[in-house]
Amino acid sequence: MTDTEAVTRADVPPKSPRRVRRGSPWRRVGRAVSPLLWLGPAIVLIGVVVLWPVFVMFKTSFQRFTPNGFYLGPAGWRNFKDLFDEPDLNSVLIRTVVWVVVVVGVTMTLSLGLAQLFNQRFPGRRVTRWALIAPWAASVLMTAFIFRWALDPNYGVVNVILHDLGLVKTFGSNQADWLGRPDSAFVWMMIVAIFVSLPFSTYALLAGLQTIPHELYEAARVDGASSWRTYRSITLPLLRPSFLVALLINVINVFNSFPIIWGMTRGGPGFETATSTVFMYQLKQAFIGESAAMSVLNFGLVIVVVLVFLKVTRWKDQVS
Amino acid sequence: MKRSIAAGVALGAAVLLAVSACSSSKKSSGGNSGSNGGGGSPVTLKFVGADYGTGPQNSSQKYWEQIAADFKAANPNITVQVQTINWNDFDNKVKTMVQNKDYPDVMEGDYFPDYAQTGLLYPAKDVTSPSTFSNLLSVFAKLNTYNGTQYGMPFTTSSRTLFYNKKLFQQAGITAAPQTWNDVQADAAKIKALGKVGFGLPLGSEEAQAEGLLWFLGNGGGYQSDSGDWTIDSQQNVEALQFMSGMVKAGDTEPNPGTKNRTDLWKNFAQGDIGMINGSPALIPIIQQGGKLQASDYTSVPIPGKSGPLDKTLGVCDNVSVFKTDPKKQDAIKKFLDFFYQDKYQIQFDKEYDLLPATNSAVQSMSSDPTFGPFLKALPNSVQYPNDPIWSTVKTQIQQQLGLAMTQDPQKILSNIQQTAKKGS
Repeated sequence: MTDTEAVTRADVPPKSPRRVRRGSPWRRVGRAVSPLLWLGPAIVLIGVVVLWPVFVMFKTSFQRFTPNGFYLGPAGWRNFKDLFDEPDLNSVLIRTVVWVVVVVGVTMTLSLGLAQLFNQRFPGRRVTRWALIAPWAASVLMTAFIFRWALDPNYGVVNVILHDLGLVKTFGSNQADWLGRPDSAFVWMMIVAIFVSLPFSTYALLAGLQTIPHELYEAARVDGASSWRTYRSITLPLLRPSFLVALLINVINVFNSFPIIWGMTRGGPGFETATSTVFMYQLKQAFIGESAAMSVLNFGLVIVVVLVFLKVTRWKDQVS
Repeated sequence: MKRSIAAGVALGAAVLLAVSACSSSKKSSGGNSGSNGGGGSPVTLKFVGADYGTGPQNSSQKYWEQIAADFKAANPNITVQVQTINWNDFDNKVKTMVQNKDYPDVMEGDYFPDYAQTGLLYPAKDVTSPSTFSNLLSVFAKLNTYNGTQYGMPFTTSSRTLFYNKKLFQQAGITAAPQTWNDVQADAAKIKALGKVGFGLPLGSEEAQAEGLLWFLGNGGGYQSDSGDWTIDSQQNVEALQFMSGMVKAGDTEPNPGTKNRTDLWKNFAQGDIGMINGSPALIPIIQQGGKLQASDYTSVPIPGKSGPLDKTLGVCDNVSVFKTDPKKQDAIKKFLDFFYQDKYQIQFDKEYDLLPATNSAVQSMSSDPTFGPFLKALPNSVQYPNDPIWSTVKTQIQQQLGLAMTQDPQKILSNIQQTAKKGS
C-alpha cells in the first residue's frame, strides 16, 4: 500500500526547480528499477530452475562422458546418432504416444462425468470431495508401489480377489503375473496413471462448472431443452476454457510421468514398458551424453505438442 | 488457537531447516578444519554402504552406526557419518553420486573398476596398515586390481550353491539331488505338477549378471576367457540361454523371469513356493525369517552344469573402496579401515547376514562352522566377475537386457552386449 502511494506521489509534478535537478534522475532510475524488484525473484527462479538446466541439457548432449561423469571432450552429433541407432527407440516413442493419448483421453472423459457428479447436491458431498483428493495428495511413487504389491502374482490382493471370483485359476501363473507381461503391465500402469490424474482434472472441471451462471440453465429449462441438449449447448461450450487448461497440463504431466513406470516395472523387461522419459533414465546409467540427447528429444517433443495444441485450440481466443 | 499451531509448525520447520543447513555446513567445514593440519582437529568421514538387512530390525545402518560409535569412542576427533542404500538401488544411487561428484570417503558394496581407472580411488595399500592389508583374502585381489595396483578391498564374500526344497522333492517323488541340467529340468517339471514353481530364475535387473554367469559356467562359458578377452556372445553362452528359455517356455520356472528379482524369489523360496533356486548363505536368514521351512526341509548342493555339477562356483565379494576426497582425511580413513577390519566386526557381520568373511584371520576362526565351512572351502576355487573398467557398463546392460533372451533371440542380445564390452571404456 505504502509503495503505491510512493509511486503516485512521485508522479506529482515537483514544486521547486531545485528538487527537480536533485531528485528526478534518481527517481527515474528508481521508477525504472522498482518493477524489477517485484519481478526479480521470479526471473531469478525461472533462470536458475528452468533456463539454466535447459542450457546444461543441450550442452551435455553434445559432449562425451565416461559412465562416472568425467568429461572426455566434444561429441558433435555423435550422441544423437547413437540415440537414433538404438533399436528400441521407435517402439519407445510409439509407446509414449499411446501412453499420453490413452491416459489423458480416459482421464478427461471420466473427469467430465465425475465433475458433473460432484457438482450435484447429495449427502456426504463434502466428504467425497475430500476423498477425491487422496490419489492426488499421496506420493505417486507410493501409489505405484502399492499397486505393484497389489498385483503380486502370489499374494497380491488384486489376484486374491480375481482368484475368489474364479477369474484367475492359479496363483503365481503367467496369467496372475500382471506386471511380468509387458502388454498387461502397460495397461495396469495406464490405469494407475489415470487414477492419479483424475483428481486434478476433476477439480479443474468442477471449478469451471461452478462459474457457469445458473440463469442459463433456467432459461434452457423454460425453453424446454432436454438435459442432454442443455449439456451440449450450455455446459460443454462454457466449460471449454477450464477443459483446455486441464487437458494441456495433463498432457505435459503424463508425458513426463516417471515414478509410476519406474516404481512398477522399471521400464523392463529390457525397455519394453518404458516411455521416453523412463528410457532417458535407463540410458543415463551408462551413457550420459546419449541420455542428454534423449532429454533434448523429449524437450523438443513437449514443445512441439504444446505449440500444436495451442494453435489447434486457438488458445488465445478461448482462455485469455 | 489454530493459528498458533500453524505458526508453531512453521517455526518448527524453519528450525529444522536451519539445523539441517548447519549440519551440512558442518560437514564441509569438517574437511576444511582438517586442512588446518593439526592431528587433533576434528574430521568427518562420509561412509556409504549397501544394506544387507531384510528389514529395519537388521538393517546394516545399525551395524555401521555401532562401528562408527565405537570408533568415535576410540578416536574422539573423527566422526563417521553412515548412509546405507538398499541393494536394489545401490548401483543407481552410487552412480548418480559419482556422476555429480558427490563422493563418499569410504564406500562398501559393489566395486566399480572404472573408478580406479579414472583415478578416483586410493590404492588399498595407502589406506590400510600393512597388517590389515595382508590379512585380506588374496583370492579376490585380481578382481580389485587395475594396472597392477589393488584398489578395492574385499569386505564380505559369498559363494553360490543350489538350494532345493526337500519337502517338495519328496512329494514329487524325486530321490536324488539334481546334478545336470536335464536333472534340473525333469525335477522342475515334477514340482510344477504339484502346483509350485519348479526352478526360480531371477533374470530381472537386480542380479541377472550372477544368475546368467552360473548357467554360462555350467556350459563351459563365461564373460571372459582366461586371457581376458570378452566372450559374452560365445556359443556356450548362447546354448545356455537357449536351454533356460526352453525351461521357461515349458513352464518349469516362474513366469516372465526377465522381470523377477532375486530378493523376491528368495522370499518365495522361503515360503515353500519354489522347488530349486541358486542361492548364497544369505538366503538362510530369509528362510529362517519366513518360518515356513525347517532346517531339515531344505539343503544346498553344488550347482548343476550341463553334464555334471560345477567344480567351481561364482565367488562374489563386496568391496570397500576409498575415494580421494581430501588428502587431509587419509590418516583418519586409515584408522577407520584398520578399525572395522577387526575380526570382531567381520564375524559379527557374517553372523548377522550369513555371509562369509573376507580376511584370513576371520576365515580361520569360522572354518569349523557347520553352516559356513562348505562355502568357505569353495571360495579359493571360485570364479569372479571381470575386472575390466568397462564391466560396470556391461553389467548394467546385462541387468537390463539378459532377461529378454528368454523371449527373443539370445544370440542377438548377447552380441549387443558383447559390442558394448568390446568398445572398451
